[in-house]
Amino acid sequence: MGRTAGVAAASETGLWAEHHHHDAMSTRTLGFWLYMLSDAMIFAGLFASYAVLSHHYNAAGGPTIRDIVHPFYAYAETLMILTSVLAYGWVMVALKAGNRNGVLIGLALAFALGAVFVGLEAHEFSGLLHQGIDAERSGYLSAFYALVMTHGIHMVFGLLWIATMFAQVASQGFTDKTVYRLLNLKMFWHFQAVIWVLVFTFVYMRGVL
Amino acid sequence: MIRNRIGLRARRAALLLPVMLLTGCSSHKLANQFVLFRPSGPLSGADLHFTILDVGVMLGIIIPTAIITIYFLLHYRKTNTTAAYDPHWSHSNVIELIVWAIPLLTVMMLGYYSYKGTAAVDPYNPGLLKAASKQPVLDVDVVTTDWQWLFIYPKQHIATANQLVIPVGTVVHFHMTSATVVNDFYIPRLAGMIDIMPGMRTKQVLMADKIGHYQGLSANFSGAGFSWMRFKTEVVSASQFNDWTKEVARSPLHMNYAQFNVFARPTKNVQGKTFEYSQVSDRLFHQVIKGVMMGRVYTTPLPPPGAA
Amino acid sequence: MVHVQGPWSPLLGRLSMGAIPDNPIITGAFIFAAIFGVLALAYVTYARKWVYLWREWLTTVDHKKIGVMYILIGLVMLFRGFIDALMMRTQQLLGDGLHSAGYLGATHGYLVPYHFDQVYSAHGTIMILFAATPILVGIMNIIVPLQIGARDMAFPYLNALGLWLTTVGAALIMLSLFLGDFSHAGWIGLTPLTELAYSPGVGTDYWMWSIQIASVGTTLGAANLIATIIKMRAPGMTWSRLPIFTWTALSTNIIALTSFPVLAVALGLLGADRYFGTHFFTAGMGGNLMLYSNLFWIWGHPEVYFVILPAFGMMSEIIPTFSEKALFGYITMVAASFAIAGVSWAVWLHHFFTMGAGPDVNTFFSIATMMVGIPTGVKVFNWAFTIYRGRSRFDTPMMWALGALFMLLLGGLTGMMLAMPPINYSVHNSVFVVAHFHTMLMVVVYGILGAVSYWFPKVFGFKLNERLGKRFFWYFTAGTVLVFIPMYASGFMGMTRRLDYLSNPHLFPFEVAEELGIGLYLVSVYYFVAQLFVSVRDRNKYPVGADAWGTGRTLEWITPSPVPFYNFAVTPRTHARDELVWRREQGLEHVSVKHYEDILMPKNTAVPLIIGALTLALGFGLVWRIWWLTDLSFAAIIVTVILRSFVKDTDYTVGGKEVAGIEKGLQARMKGAQASGLPSGGVGGLRPQESNS
Repeated sequence: MGRTAGVAAASETGLWAEHHHHDAMSTRTLGFWLYMLSDAMIFAGLFASYAVLSHHYNAAGGPTIRDIVHPFYAYAETLMILTSVLAYGWVMVALKAGNRNGVLIGLALAFALGAVFVGLEAHEFSGLLHQGIDAERSGYLSAFYALVMTHGIHMVFGLLWIATMFAQVASQGFTDKTVYRLLNLKMFWHFQAVIWVLVFTFVYMRGVL
Repeated sequence: MIRNRIGLRARRAALLLPVMLLTGCSSHKLANQFVLFRPSGPLSGADLHFTILDVGVMLGIIIPTAIITIYFLLHYRKTNTTAAYDPHWSHSNVIELIVWAIPLLTVMMLGYYSYKGTAAVDPYNPGLLKAASKQPVLDVDVVTTDWQWLFIYPKQHIATANQLVIPVGTVVHFHMTSATVVNDFYIPRLAGMIDIMPGMRTKQVLMADKIGHYQGLSANFSGAGFSWMRFKTEVVSASQFNDWTKEVARSPLHMNYAQFNVFARPTKNVQGKTFEYSQVSDRLFHQVIKGVMMGRVYTTPLPPPGAA
Repeated sequence: MVHVQGPWSPLLGRLSMGAIPDNPIITGAFIFAAIFGVLALAYVTYARKWVYLWREWLTTVDHKKIGVMYILIGLVMLFRGFIDALMMRTQQLLGDGLHSAGYLGATHGYLVPYHFDQVYSAHGTIMILFAATPILVGIMNIIVPLQIGARDMAFPYLNALGLWLTTVGAALIMLSLFLGDFSHAGWIGLTPLTELAYSPGVGTDYWMWSIQIASVGTTLGAANLIATIIKMRAPGMTWSRLPIFTWTALSTNIIALTSFPVLAVALGLLGADRYFGTHFFTAGMGGNLMLYSNLFWIWGHPEVYFVILPAFGMMSEIIPTFSEKALFGYITMVAASFAIAGVSWAVWLHHFFTMGAGPDVNTFFSIATMMVGIPTGVKVFNWAFTIYRGRSRFDTPMMWALGALFMLLLGGLTGMMLAMPPINYSVHNSVFVVAHFHTMLMVVVYGILGAVSYWFPKVFGFKLNERLGKRFFWYFTAGTVLVFIPMYASGFMGMTRRLDYLSNPHLFPFEVAEELGIGLYLVSVYYFVAQLFVSVRDRNKYPVGADAWGTGRTLEWITPSPVPFYNFAVTPRTHARDELVWRREQGLEHVSVKHYEDILMPKNTAVPLIIGALTLALGFGLVWRIWWLTDLSFAAIIVTVILRSFVKDTDYTVGGKEVAGIEKGLQARMKGAQASGLPSGGVGGLRPQESNS
């Protein structure tokens, strides 16, 4: 015994699958989910490192989270990124309706709000640097900067991607390629917002409470 | 055929091996070199005990498996037309049960022994030395540099470089740190290894059963001078130890933190030199750790241009 | 930026004339490489193959060609890693004992410590990440789409990109030989030894960036393979009919996808320390050097399962084929693969039991480590029961698979020893550990060599010479035994690893034995090269048909040999596990396609190659801290990616008539093989003759 159950009947025409097509759209979105899984592991490593380097001796007698965090400032950043994601939701609604202008407006809005987020974060860091609170001061500060800046760098690449999609949709309209990229960008943008919520909770909020 | 000749030469060379094993040294001396089989302390003794246990259990599985596999290969070879052939037979619940059960039971047994053994030889608090802990204890602080060993005896206010002397039958508490990079404190016949890390303090508790000379080394690569980073270990009687500490206390060389920083410059101890120091502060160990925690490094110089 | 020792200029960074090594060994290596390179370029020019090379290989997105290039890179790096091993063995032989002589400026032996340290660091890095990994990725690349009835991977462009990124990593390591130096801190790169203070040169940067760049390629490739297996299976190929090698490819790439990012974090944070002066892993200022060990080994242990699971898959394909019997316990084999992959995440601390985590933590990881042995043991038994009541033949692939099985027994025994902390404390970092993991890696190497000889006829259309292949096997095995058995023994003599000078003269007989072993390896290399040469020379004499070994079981043996670029003229429908066996038993083996349709294939593209070249510039700039170069190449990469995304037309259609023509030609070639009575398919049970001995 050992013959696999469910063996099909023997017939010559059953040997070949003609007119067989692959679902390219779902393949591409699956591929992007897989990429995001690997990206999530990068953040997992950074969060773990942050946790390990959050003991009091990791501050080497220097500034701790309480000296860095301005909760309302971080709250403003949070508002920016979440509304940017909301704007991108607009893009998806317009896409479903086949509304090219709607998509372009949504992309522009998402870009603007995301850019404000990045600007706020850059301003926050330049303020810290002026005070001499830099990553070389201690292991703790190194971990803080690494975690928050990695998210920030992802945001910058996301903005670049949004701008590229704007140009692509404007010039090529809705093709297979542009549509799957808009879907993937949606997931990427949401993903960055989720990571930000975790950063806000485990870095900024924990520093205040 | 040329190819056959090469094969023949290889076979001849292989036959020479046992002969080569005997040249230059008597086989008795060679057997002595298997230091892991000649423990001189309860911790190393336990390590050997578990080695034999583990190997025994595993051989009990692996040898029958190998024999069965070889038998199957030979008996069921294609040219043996008398052997049964059952091309679709590929499943058997009974066999699955057995082949999962055997490793599972083995792991359960070995896991239990692992649990017991790990607690018994734990460097910080070995279960095997619990009974002996009521006796007086010797404290030794160990500092590794690039690429030397410094042994500080804080209570006796002496220190030695690249040489360790301890009394027999006494529980010794080692507190260890590195000034530079990670090393491993290892005296093969006395105890297992423990990491030595900069800016941190690790511990090893051990006891030596027999008087003699032993070899200590670092078992974690630390740089260009690593191969020479060894230290002689002398286990002596208690009275000899006392005499020795008094003698070292008369040494003209002293060691304070400033002198330590000179000692800690990158040095390959190619000649195996040892030194003895007197008037050593019992705070020296803490000063070294503190310094490293504050960012002190003993930089390795860049190799000269053109050096590979 | 952080201050570094040595010169730095804005134009050239740390690069200066002093970067060129002044060492006769390296000069010799350079001359050898230069001659080889010039000869290769001259040959290509003379044969007017540049256009062919560009069109067919450098710009291809065909998974089979990409796989072949991966394997070629892996083989070249394997040879380089072998030379490193030869140098290490010789140094330890010549540098044994206080009175051993010193040559070429060394106190003992012929390599100064700093040079020896680079040799073993390069050996480890190359063998794991630039020999084993590319060859495994290459084999999976070629075989998985064929086994599931697909035309290509899910993302062909990404596939090519992964290849060129891996090549760039390898190129950086090779470059480190002639410009600057390599890391002296081992392939692991423990901190704080790899911090700037204790590794002030560019060597550690070369090591770091070559691995980072290649790891991006591996991670992308993992996503590619997983998406392919999930989404691109032909009709009828349900999960329970998936070939076992594809199952192991799936489990192994799930490991890769999730673990390589952790390595990226470990190396990235170390890079931050070395470039920005941060304190992640420094001993002072609040750094935690133990964090690096943890992050590295959280990647490092799943990584070794990443290399061994495909080897298990290869053995699971070869053994049934050459026993003419179905794999025993298919479902438990799949379950065991995923159990191994899952548990591999919970064992990383066993690489540093001696760090002093305490008996409770150590015991947990010890038991978890031993638990991985359970599914592994099940696999061994299942292979044995596959052979039981089969009809075993001992062709070269089978010899390699069986050799791998016995290596696994020895490696597993020593692994269970190392899993126990009391034992581990006395042999940690000794050559006993080195012998153990080399034995385990031999399972991988044997699996690879078996897979290469097994699937070579499928890819190239002719078999490798059997007689020379067997010689290669026996000399390789003899070398393995002679190098590593004495190493287990010297581990019990207290010999630590990574020593360039051995103070114990009693190690001499073992060193001699190991040197002889390396000599036997060298002889085996001769037979490997001879086998390739003779097989290629005689390739037209002994072509093979679709089912090259006569007893193939899975879908890849349905395609012609060599496989046409579109793989299957019409996508096949699957009816059972071991589809070809099912077709053979139904008498449907030789039914050919009636109607050929148009096929959509991806176009070739030079963009992955261009991105690779730009990444090489980026890596080089990062190593030497030439900031204008890094900024420029990084920007150029981004621009290239964006520009490529605007290209609309990335596919082309192959007409049905053209497909029919190609198929006819291939069938005619294979009929020639059938006419000469050589195995080209045929009913299972017919004994294939030795075709070219």
